[in-house]
Order: sequence, then structure tokens, then C-alpha cells
Amino acid sequence: MENYRSIKPLPSEDLDFIVPRIQIFKLENGLTVYFVERHNLPILRLNIVSESGSKFDQPAKKGLANLFSMMIDEGAGKYSALELSDEFELLGSNFDIRCNSDCIYFSLRTLKENYEKSLSLLAAIITSPRLLKEDYEREQRKVLTRILQMKDDPDEMANTAFDYLLFGKENPYAYPILGYEENVRQISNEDIRLFYENYFAPNKSALIAAGDITRPELEEKINYYFQNWKAKDVKQIPVSIQEDQGLQKIYFINRENSVQTEIRIGHVSSKRNDYDFFPKMILNTVLGGQFSSRINLNLREKKGYTYGASSSFYYYKECAYFIVSTSVAAENTADAVKELFNELNRIRNGVKQEEIEFAKSSIIRKFPSNFETNSQIASAISRMFIHQLHDNHFQTYIEKLRRVSIEQVNQASLENIFPDQMITVLAGDKNKLAAQFAPENLVEVNEKGLIC
Amino acid sequence: MNLLNLKYEKYKLQNGLEVILHSVKNIPFVASNIWYKVGSANEKRGKTGLAHFFEHMMFQGSQNVAKEMHFRFIQEAGGSLNGSTGFDRTNYYEKVPSNFLELILWLESDRMGYLLPSLNREKLENQIGVVKNERLERYDNQPYGLAWEIMISNLYSEEHPYSWPTIGFLNDISSYTLDDVKNFFRKFYSPSNASLVLSGHFDPERGKDLIEKYFDGLPSQNSLQPLNPSNTELSEDKFISYEDNVNLGRIYLAWHSDKAFGKDDAALDILADILSGSKNSRLYKFLVYDHEIAQDVTAFQYSGKFGGHFMIIATARPGIALTTLKQKIFEVLDEVKKQGVSERELLRSKNGIKSGFIYSLQNVDSLADQLNFYNFYLGEPNSFNYDLNRYEEVNIEVVPAIAGKYLAKPHLELHILPKEKKK
Repeated sequence: MENYRSIKPLPSEDLDFIVPRIQIFKLENGLTVYFVERHNLPILRLNIVSESGSKFDQPAKKGLANLFSMMIDEGAGKYSALELSDEFELLGSNFDIRCNSDCIYFSLRTLKENYEKSLSLLAAIITSPRLLKEDYEREQRKVLTRILQMKDDPDEMANTAFDYLLFGKENPYAYPILGYEENVRQISNEDIRLFYENYFAPNKSALIAAGDITRPELEEKINYYFQNWKAKDVKQIPVSIQEDQGLQKIYFINRENSVQTEIRIGHVSSKRNDYDFFPKMILNTVLGGQFSSRINLNLREKKGYTYGASSSFYYYKECAYFIVSTSVAAENTADAVKELFNELNRIRNGVKQEEIEFAKSSIIRKFPSNFETNSQIASAISRMFIHQLHDNHFQTYIEKLRRVSIEQVNQASLENIFPDQMITVLAGDKNKLAAQFAPENLVEVNEKGLIC
Repeated sequence: MNLLNLKYEKYKLQNGLEVILHSVKNIPFVASNIWYKVGSANEKRGKTGLAHFFEHMMFQGSQNVAKEMHFRFIQEAGGSLNGSTGFDRTNYYEKVPSNFLELILWLESDRMGYLLPSLNREKLENQIGVVKNERLERYDNQPYGLAWEIMISNLYSEEHPYSWPTIGFLNDISSYTLDDVKNFFRKFYSPSNASLVLSGHFDPERGKDLIEKYFDGLPSQNSLQPLNPSNTELSEDKFISYEDNVNLGRIYLAWHSDKAFGKDDAALDILADILSGSKNSRLYKFLVYDHEIAQDVTAFQYSGKFGGHFMIIATARPGIALTTLKQKIFEVLDEVKKQGVSERELLRSKNGIKSGFIYSLQNVDSLADQLNFYNFYLGEPNSFNYDLNRYEEVNIEVVPAIAGKYLAKPHLELHILPKEKKK
């Protein structure tokens, strides 16, 4: 064997990478426009992010924002629902809408040659949706069936119960985006129309364009197509976090004969902020943010309990949480939970300098690959909009990461990881779980997270 | 289309390794993608899943790379990596900042040439645990998770190599020995049985030098006997039902169809899109939109080197019998066979496929994989235009004719039914 083979090759000289320039401007109606000009391929991405997600659902109408997002493209302007879909497809454009707790996302991918027609369809959906009763009833029945289907999925079961137990009943982030069956039945088409009137506003939205177009052309077209979308006052929603976080309880949802257990462990965490966002990112990269992190190496590569285990800080606009997530063969549930808590306790004892260097190297060097496609650029910008990040966020990103010290990371562990305040949620077979945990520690909940 | 005419260079090393270089400058990253011409079709019954299990072992380090370091080195470089296994092939890919090109060629060559010295029982047993969990998580514990396995094992005859699932049966996974893994490596993981693509921001001359440095000296095994499975057909309609932990019934229908890049393969893709690709597609509009008897419906043409099948899957709304769903699906199919489709429907599908080709040019990792895909099935990496033309050539007479030719043959039907709930 060649001698050089026993030595890891060194990298050659770093190549320059310049973060795409993001141009930001506002229309008169308050719509913020983010634009990245790229002419490498004759294609264009046009996304709209509207802060009108399910956190705005009223208590008796859980599921309203999602139903609205399903309804908004069921006919608009001169087009019926089927005609709209037909037009997009004839153009070879891909159009998609999804809803989460904070926002509704519209994403449109189009060839340059067809962009104006595609944009006009998008604008019709945004500014003049039909919101007709007969379409509403069909979409309502569809979502009711979808809610029923979610109960089959162990992953969804665990997440839904976890969210509720984590945030508590007063917090709008505690509830499933799809809503509850009994609420969805109560929602009327009139509610959908009111939601559009009250919450769907250009001054609470951003249009993100990335691709093959120039600034003057873009500005002219969006001014023209979105001028009828009028600004409105949107009430802020109060977000309260419950006091009692259920100290160290283990909740479970019975999924009879389940061969695996879904495991979720976590607690509420501090909102996204400049003070510790980067230290928390490095901390989590060491702990459970990627394949080579402590949690995955232990549970997968050492113990062979799972196909994968991870942790993350998840940031909503108004609050955040820390979560560890995995799924293991049912008989290994208690051992896996124990190992996870070992890792959570251990991280508070501090991390090694080499772990920090590894995490930094990994994130910093990967950074340019977040800007390869128009779609990646648009998603990065969505986060800028949702969290109202500074215009130079991406320009300063690497420098801020580099500056994080080991003391800051250890401080972040002590301030953000509290194993004795975490809740554990399991979705698995009751009998298999009862054989592994002391009965006084186990609390059975239903699929909503309510104690049985 | 000029845009889809990719410039590349292809050559072979002395040991038989095929090399394909495609340089394109966007972000300063380079993707490496290796296809080994071995998949689950090359397994034997009793040791199903071995190709996929072997893929896991390839990430466990090699003679000059300690366990866990393969992942660690690439992640430290800011790269991403993975592998996947199918019926016909196994691929390994990574994307790294361009100045780490040498690192990934070193890693890939070390496991191509020197995997065996580092294998041990501990790694084997650990990954048996991981892969069993993968199977449990992705199949056994998923609603409808065993449907694919039930379908292919009934559609293809027992001797046909597509009749078992790529993940393998649980008992087989438990049975792997170090010798199984070693023999698999010796038989299939030879440079002469692989092709390496580099795509992205790199200097081709430097790429060639590095490839020579790391791969040229790797020894090759004797050439393999190609598989030659006999054709498989259903002699009559076949029906299976299976109870699962689900709230809604789901029907699966399958017909034997054409192989990958066979003469009807592209037309079958278009037929699938016309049936279920959009709100206006025939099955979606009829079952989901107009009559609301299904929650979802999907049709697709699956094609591999040794066979293909056309499948339709629909989930029943509460209270709707799967027999009703089946009857309506066949009504729609009959209408397509007898009355054909419109120019507009066909154009819609073609435009979607065409723009999909252009959108797909954005990622160097998916480009690298696509070049290997074409090279594997067609012997020519730059086949984007050839592939697109297959779809362009389908006309409205072809679609009903294809439906008539394949969807009138005997079919396999699976009903997944909700288990009776205990009170």
C-alpha cells in the first residue's frame, strides 16, 4: 500500500465565497420584498411568507389557519380551483402552500419564460381568493379525514402530545396545526373569510424572489400585481408559558402492539436572541445536532438502540423549546431514556475545546452550501423575516460563530439544559412500557396530550 | 435543449473503474458520487438485505480510517454525505467545499480498496442493531409500512430478485456473519464494478491526478456473471388482504410493466401523471375531488434493470369500501383506454416533466447522481436530452394504447384494512 494512504490529506487553499446580496425594499402596502438576483439558470423562485399561522387560531377554532391555507388556492379571480391548478401545470410551474404555527408559506417555482403569468396567478390567489362555500365543505371533509389519519402515525402522536404537555393549554403553540376534529367541525366558511380579512395582511408578509430577473423588472411587476392587497391592523396574540412544567414526569400514549417506542424529551427554552443564539447552536451541534454528535454516537453507533437520535433548539417567533428525539425498539425504551438523560446531564459538566472546534469547523465550512439553490436561499430569507433578523445577518454569521468561546458554550449548557425539568413523552405499547418503568412515574395521556 | 447538454469527460482506469468528470461553477463545492453495480437483486434468499447492510458497513471505517471517522472527517470539512441501496445498485455520495476534494477521494478509495482489514465482530453486531431498528422504524412501525414488501413478494415470482425488499427480512438481518460481509465485498466491491462521478467546482486536471493517485492502484476482482432473471408474469388476478394499525383502508393495484428505459417506460410515466399527478388528473379528480371517496391517490411506474411494474394506490374515506374504490378506479382506467386523453392533458404532463429537468440542474449532488444513473442504465452520462425526448415523443394515441397494453393484464390487488378495535 502507498505510504501516503495512511495520512489524512490536508485541504488545499480555501475558495472564496461571497454571500448572495439580498436587496430589501417595501411596497406602499407594507409588503417587504427580499430579492436575490441570480442568472445562472433561466428559473425563478417566488415565495410569500405571511405571518398568519395557526397561532392565530381562536381556542374554539383550532385548525382555522390551516383550513384557510387549504382554501386560499381553491379558486381565485377568474379561475376555479381546477383551472388554477391546470394553469400552473401548463406553465411547468410548481406551486405549493403550507401552514405552520407562525406562518403560511406560498412557494412558486417557475421558468423565466413563464414567470409573469405564474406571478399573476400567485397574485390572484393572494389578493382575490374566491373562498366559496362548496369548496370549503370539500376541504373541511378532507382535513377531518387527515386528522383521523394522523392518529395512525407514531411520530405525529408523540409530537402532538409533546407540544401540548410542553407549552400548556394557554399557549397557542401547544396545538396541532390541523386542529382538533370537534373544532374543525365548528369552523364555517364565514370564519375562513373573516380570517382572510383580519389576519392575512401585506404588512405582515414578505415576498422573497430569487433567480433570473432584474430589480427594476421585479419591482414593476410586483407593484402592479400586488397593489390591491391592502394593509390592515393585525392584533398581536398573547403567548404565555405554563409555570408547572410537569417536573420529570414520563407521559405515554398507548399504541398497542407497537414494535418501537417514539421518545421525545425536552422543555421550553429561551426565545431566539442575539445573546446566545450562536453558543446554543454550537452546544447543540456537540450534543445532538448531527450524525457525529454525542447523542447519536452513543445511542446508535455505540449501543445500536436506534437508527438515529438527535436534539435541537426549535425557534418559533414568540417562544422556543429544546427537544431530544428518537425511536427505539420497544424493549430498549427505558435503557435508551436513561442514556439520553446521561448525555443531558453530562453536557452540563462542560464540553471539550476540540468538540467546539469540530462544531465550528462543520458549520462554518458548510455555510456556502446553504445558498446553492434558489429554494435554499428563499428558505434562509424566510427565517430572516420571521425572526426579524438584521439585514446583514448572513454577512456577519461566520464571524459571530468564530467568536464564540468555550466559556460561552458551557454557560449556554448551564442556562439552557435542565434535565430535572424535562418532560418525557413516549408513544408505544403500554404493556411493554409498564414492564420497564416504575408505575408511579408513568402517566398515561391521550393523543391530545390530556391525562387519561 | 442546449441547457441540458452537459459537458463531461469519461474514461476508465486500468483496474476498470469508470470515471466521469463534470465541472460547473456555482458555489465552491464539489460532489462525489460512486455507484457500485450491486443491489438487493444480487442477494440470495436467506440473506436478504445484505446489500443494504453492507452499505452501513462502508461507513464503519477502513484500514486507514478509524470507526466514526469517516463521518467525522467529512462533517468537520463542512460536507454532507450518505449512501442508498436499491434493487439494482448502491450509491455513496458526499458534497464538500472544493478544497476538500482530496479528502473525499482518499476516504472513498480507502473503503473501496481496504475495507476488510478493519472489519470486526463489534462493528457487525452494532450495525445489525442499527439496521434492525431502521427496519422497525421505517417499515414495521409505520402505518401501511409493510405494503411494498407484500406487493413485490406477490407480484414477482420467488426466484425473481425483485421479490424481496431491499431492507431485508428481520430474521435474515439477524443472521449476517463476518464471512457474509467479507464475501460480499470480495465479490461486488471491485473498482471494475463501480463508476465515480465528480461534479461541481473543481479543476478537472487536478481531479484526474487525484483520482489516479488514490484509485489507480486498487486491485480488481474477476468480472461478474451478470444476472439474468427470467421474465415474470402473473397468470391470473391475485388478491391479498392484510390488517394493520390504521384508521382507513387502502387499496394497492399492480401490473407488470416495462423495464427502465424500455420502449414503453416513458409513456407509462406520462400515463401515471395523467392519472394522479395533479388536481385535474383523472383519478384524483374523480375519486378525491368530485366524489370524495378517496383521501388520496397515486399512480406510478416503477422500473428497474430486470423488470417494472405499474402501481395505483388509493386511501378510502371513512365508510367507503375498498371494492367500491376498485370499481371506480377501473371505470376511470376504462375511460382512458376507450376514449383516450386530450392534447391539453398530455401537454400539461410534458411541460411539468420538461421544467423538472431544468430545475434539477441546480444541485451538484443530484447532477452527479443523475450522471451515474444515465451511465448505469444507458452507458452515456449525458443523456438528459435523450431522456427528455422520450417524453416529448409520446403522443395522444400512445397513452390509451399503453393503458390498454399493460393495465388489461392480470393484476395484483392488496387491501390493507383497519384492525378490529378492542374495547
